[in-house]
Amino acid sequence: MDSKDSKLHSDRPKGESLVWLCSAGLALGVLMVVSLLGLIFWEGITVFWPKSVVQITLKENSQAKLGQERTIAGVVVKKQRNSRNGTEEWQLLTGNKDAYGAMFKYVDTADFVSVENPEGIVVAERMEYGNSIFFPVAYTKHTGERVTIGDPRFWDTFSQGIDEVRQRYKAITDLEKNKIGRINRQVNALTIAKRNYERQLAEGEHVPDDEIRQVEEKLAALQKAFEELAAKARELRHLQEVEMLEYRLSSGQIRQQPSGDFVGFHRPNDMGLLQKAGYFLHHIWSFLTERPREANTEGGIFPAIFGTFVMTVLMSAAVVPFGVIAAIYLREYAHQGHFVRSVRIAVNNLAGVPSIVYGVFGLGFFVYIVGSSIDQLFFSDRLPTATFGTGGILWASLTLALMTVPVVIVATEEALAAVPRGAREASLACGASKWQTIQRIVLPASAPGILTGLILAMARGAGEVAPLMIVGVVKLAPSLPVDGVFPFFHLERKFMHLGFHIYDLGFQSPDSEAARPMVFATTFLLIILVVVLNLGAVLIRNHLRKKYATGAF
Amino acid sequence: MAEDNLQNTDSGNLRNRLRVPDPQRFRVSRGTLRIDAFMTKFIFVGGLSVILAIFGIFFFILAEIIPLFKGAEVEPLDPVTTGIENPVLMGSDEWTELPFLVSAEGELTFIDLNTNNPAKTEPVPLPSDGHIQSAAYIQEEQGIALGLDNGFYLFGKIHYRPEFQADGTRTIQATADWDAPATFLAKDGPISDISLYTSPERKTVAGIVTDADAKRVQVNSYIQKRSLFGASGFKLDNQWDLSDQLPAIPLQILIGANATALVVRTSDESVHYFNLADGNWELRQTFKPFPNDSAMVTSMDFIKGNVSLSFTNSAGNHVIYSLYRSDEAGRRIFGQTKTFETFPGGAEYFARSARNKAFLIGNTERISLRYSTTADVRWESDLPTPLEKILISGKFDQILGVDANGTLHRYSLADPHPEAGFRAFFSKIWYEGQDSPQYLWQSTGGSDDFEPKLSLIPLIVGSFKGTVYALLFAVPIALLAAIYTSQFLNPGLKRVIKPGIEIMASLPSVVLGFLAALWLAPIIEDRIPSVLTICLAIPASAMLIGYLWNLLPIRIRILIPKGWEFVIFLPTIVLVSVLAWKAGPLVESLFFNVTDPVTGEQIADFRLWWEAWTGNQFQQRNSLVVGFMMGFAVIPIIYTIAEDALSAVPPSLTSGSLALGASRWQTTARLVLPTASAGIFSACMIGLGRAVGETMIVVMATGNTPIMDMDIFSGMRTLSANIAVELPEAPHGGTLYRTLFLGAFVLFVLTFLVNTVAETLRHRLRDKYKVIN
Repeated sequence: MDSKDSKLHSDRPKGESLVWLCSAGLALGVLMVVSLLGLIFWEGITVFWPKSVVQITLKENSQAKLGQERTIAGVVVKKQRNSRNGTEEWQLLTGNKDAYGAMFKYVDTADFVSVENPEGIVVAERMEYGNSIFFPVAYTKHTGERVTIGDPRFWDTFSQGIDEVRQRYKAITDLEKNKIGRINRQVNALTIAKRNYERQLAEGEHVPDDEIRQVEEKLAALQKAFEELAAKARELRHLQEVEMLEYRLSSGQIRQQPSGDFVGFHRPNDMGLLQKAGYFLHHIWSFLTERPREANTEGGIFPAIFGTFVMTVLMSAAVVPFGVIAAIYLREYAHQGHFVRSVRIAVNNLAGVPSIVYGVFGLGFFVYIVGSSIDQLFFSDRLPTATFGTGGILWASLTLALMTVPVVIVATEEALAAVPRGAREASLACGASKWQTIQRIVLPASAPGILTGLILAMARGAGEVAPLMIVGVVKLAPSLPVDGVFPFFHLERKFMHLGFHIYDLGFQSPDSEAARPMVFATTFLLIILVVVLNLGAVLIRNHLRKKYATGAF
Repeated sequence: MAEDNLQNTDSGNLRNRLRVPDPQRFRVSRGTLRIDAFMTKFIFVGGLSVILAIFGIFFFILAEIIPLFKGAEVEPLDPVTTGIENPVLMGSDEWTELPFLVSAEGELTFIDLNTNNPAKTEPVPLPSDGHIQSAAYIQEEQGIALGLDNGFYLFGKIHYRPEFQADGTRTIQATADWDAPATFLAKDGPISDISLYTSPERKTVAGIVTDADAKRVQVNSYIQKRSLFGASGFKLDNQWDLSDQLPAIPLQILIGANATALVVRTSDESVHYFNLADGNWELRQTFKPFPNDSAMVTSMDFIKGNVSLSFTNSAGNHVIYSLYRSDEAGRRIFGQTKTFETFPGGAEYFARSARNKAFLIGNTERISLRYSTTADVRWESDLPTPLEKILISGKFDQILGVDANGTLHRYSLADPHPEAGFRAFFSKIWYEGQDSPQYLWQSTGGSDDFEPKLSLIPLIVGSFKGTVYALLFAVPIALLAAIYTSQFLNPGLKRVIKPGIEIMASLPSVVLGFLAALWLAPIIEDRIPSVLTICLAIPASAMLIGYLWNLLPIRIRILIPKGWEFVIFLPTIVLVSVLAWKAGPLVESLFFNVTDPVTGEQIADFRLWWEAWTGNQFQQRNSLVVGFMMGFAVIPIIYTIAEDALSAVPPSLTSGSLALGASRWQTTARLVLPTASAGIFSACMIGLGRAVGETMIVVMATGNTPIMDMDIFSGMRTLSANIAVELPEAPHGGTLYRTLFLGAFVLFVLTFLVNTVAETLRHRLRDKYKVIN
């Protein structure tokens, strides 16, 4: 009796340790989210921060020596303990791939004689061969004047030279990409016209001589314009090679390089915190706005951002009307029987069908059937080069729209169902027709819910890669899907995408170690995009819930 | 006052109006009605078509895969009369526009199939009074060897080249080149059978010569002479007489396996296989193709690739023997790999496709198109007229047959996917060169002779493997977290934590895949013992802390309010993980010792230990990494749905249980869990659906090797990854393309079914508790 009693009144409840196990499960889950996001945020954001350069003097017998020289300069990427023999080693980003043959170097700390942060050392971004880390020696201007490092004007001259280089580079890009590109397109169109005339002639049809002559004259005029522009571009290119930078690597080697090879430079060891922050922002800005260089491992990711944006917009434009109409039908018009209920379950389940299946469908249907038919009908003069009969941004958007339409249908249906019955009845009682009720009462009230669905669809679409790999994403697109050339929207073009950029950089790039910072930065951006979209959806949903929780009848 | 006024002045009017309602007032404007009617129709049509379009995916994919399961379609075309009686050889160009026939007298006639008339006839330069007795023809090389009745043989080659006319049409021009006649070692007598092998470097010819009433097996080989100016013609290299090694009369001879194999069928119904080693033909194997059958062997022929032999006998049995490594010495010998449906009467003539492993067999009554890889009969039919020679066109789109009167019978052949079929996708198949039937996926290979291996089983197993490891990792964490969140967690915290974990569900899988491959895989590879220790240490420490905590006096326990335990746990887990991480090498040296094969010392190395213990190699991109990262993708899904199900259990039930004195764990374990079990199950199913279809993580974090084991430290290839990897390269409409669609179909059906089951369960659960509420 006594013991039973004490059991009843026990202040040590049973199974407490299992509760703790459950709490460990939750803690682990939370920790995983936090550490994963933390890792990406940290790795992604530190890419842009200028890191100081160390110069290490090695022991005479070190194996890490670069040739005969014992000094080596670089940015410390990683410090790790060798698990086999327990020694510590540093991974240095030495740059100067053209001189050293590799971008990275592992150095054993046991071999160190001294480690210092030398002043005046420059980290320069270059057009080719990645970054270079060096001590400048002299800068030769186009006037032939040689400004040495001892000269107080040196740094100004150097940065001015690089600025000029950058402006010329912009001018060259403008010439070659835009102006010459425009001529090329006109030439293409004229060539096709000429070929058509020739075919007509061959078939014995009558073609006025005037028209052929006109086409030929136009072609000749374009050719002349092209040559003028090309000459201008050549001249600018030549100027890029005139000014010379002379510099000394930490290993003692003296090298010379035309200033045109450089994109920018900074002196991490001489920067204050404010300057570093300035460089940090500038670096982020150029990452967001520039085009990629060097097999995507350098430069920016603007085309990928733009491609993702355009694709998401196109997808939204396709997904909203269709999703909303289907949801209105299911909720408002269809007879609520077994059939509609099973359709509803099936639509819900389609959201769980793997994205790759939609990609397969997109390729088989949009690209090979719809696209090929369009080519046959409207672009037959360009065949066998496919225009729409190959992957492109339109097909990718439609594929993703198809993939996300169940999400929108489900969200819209929920929102429609949440509109209080009383509101509908009130409207109908006032004499409004069914459509008027839907249009003026139901849809406005459910707009936030539809928006939630759209945002969720966008988040899913923006982060999806697998189906895009099949229907038109590429690692490097020569031109953007929207630009200033008629007809402005080039829906047949292939495009770049943030998610695919990550895949490509991490797995297809020739030097995955060098691409690592870029991958993390891109990942960071993509995660921010997706998380912001999702948070928006969550906030809207919560807001909605509150609204209807109080307003419910 | 004002009211009174109003009543007085308006009451009459109002009454009037009420009595005689103005009909205009109640009429709906016609425009509104029209719009309403239009919108009703529009939404009906629009909504239904959107829904149909979504489900259209299913039917579209289905339509793409149906051709895989169809047989061949053969339709007769107009016959062409050539007048060449009893031709000894028929050949054709790649486009089947200008086939040729050779008569026994040595007339070579090209037949233009565009006009259905003989295009040109030219004589074969036979040596005096020779007649053609036997002939060999290699369609891919257009090489010919003719065996004559006077002991000579003759090499020939037909050169086909397309010529384009000014108007863009293409015509085929043909010329024939003939070498000077040559002889074998034994040369006095007719050559009753001849076989040929040609390559740019070598040429081998084998024949059966009836010399002084004995049939003798003869082989000559030629090599290409090379000079400074390139190839300059073939030169006789070696001659053999193999008759002494044969116990019976040779009937048929074939050269196979790049002229390193010679197969002779003899009159005692057995087959002798010679192998060329160090310039000599050694008899390696003698076998009876039908060991339990006394019927006469009627045909023996090589299928494309020249390593598989098709045999038929007069009883109609049809088998295939392939060369594979199987004897004690590990040498390649022939073994039976396939048995076909019977072909009554056995085959009298044979033709093989130059494109794939299909072949035709036929006799005077029937003809049958069969496919070697799948042992499948693609088409079979009775013949109206008996044929003498048959041929499958180079593009596998026509069958040509010629009868004794020289009439050329043409059939169109539509069999775009001969290598496909249910057996090819889902059964064990004995592929060429393998020593046993296997499930294999290898869609493309280096050479023309490659046999596509299209079994979906390794991919399905791979998908299953990835899913299992992902769920093994994800389900416990997700369910424990869901139980804690729904039952014990402080409600204020819950409002923050739940959406937080849900956001993880939307992390793009490419990010997880990239982290898995470039960040996690190297870490795990380096420190498996640490990782394993962490996996054990965290739950163990959680239980231990809970137990010890419960022993403490209530004064202390009250310091941590209920529902906040997990906050205490956050630092604890970090601490435990760090400790376990550091303890990893210790664990390794305690449990995973292995003898270093190089130095012979005992070293602690998990990877070597694993290899020594299981025999499987450790791979960096393995299932553990995939399971872990895919777990990340699946945890939030399972968590959210399971948490919803657990929270949906009516509080009246839990309050009742608690009021009866059950502890909070007892309430959870005995009441909440069973009540919500259907919902929890459906959560796991939906998680499974997501894991099965996950693509990018698997593409990036595994080696994508289609293997068939469940070893945790090896990779895999899943259905979805397979599509992502191979579809961009698959030609539109080809077998591989459609097979990948089949993979997508399997995925679609699988996930759809799993989700439907889960969803139905969830709805049931919801309905059930609606009543209780």
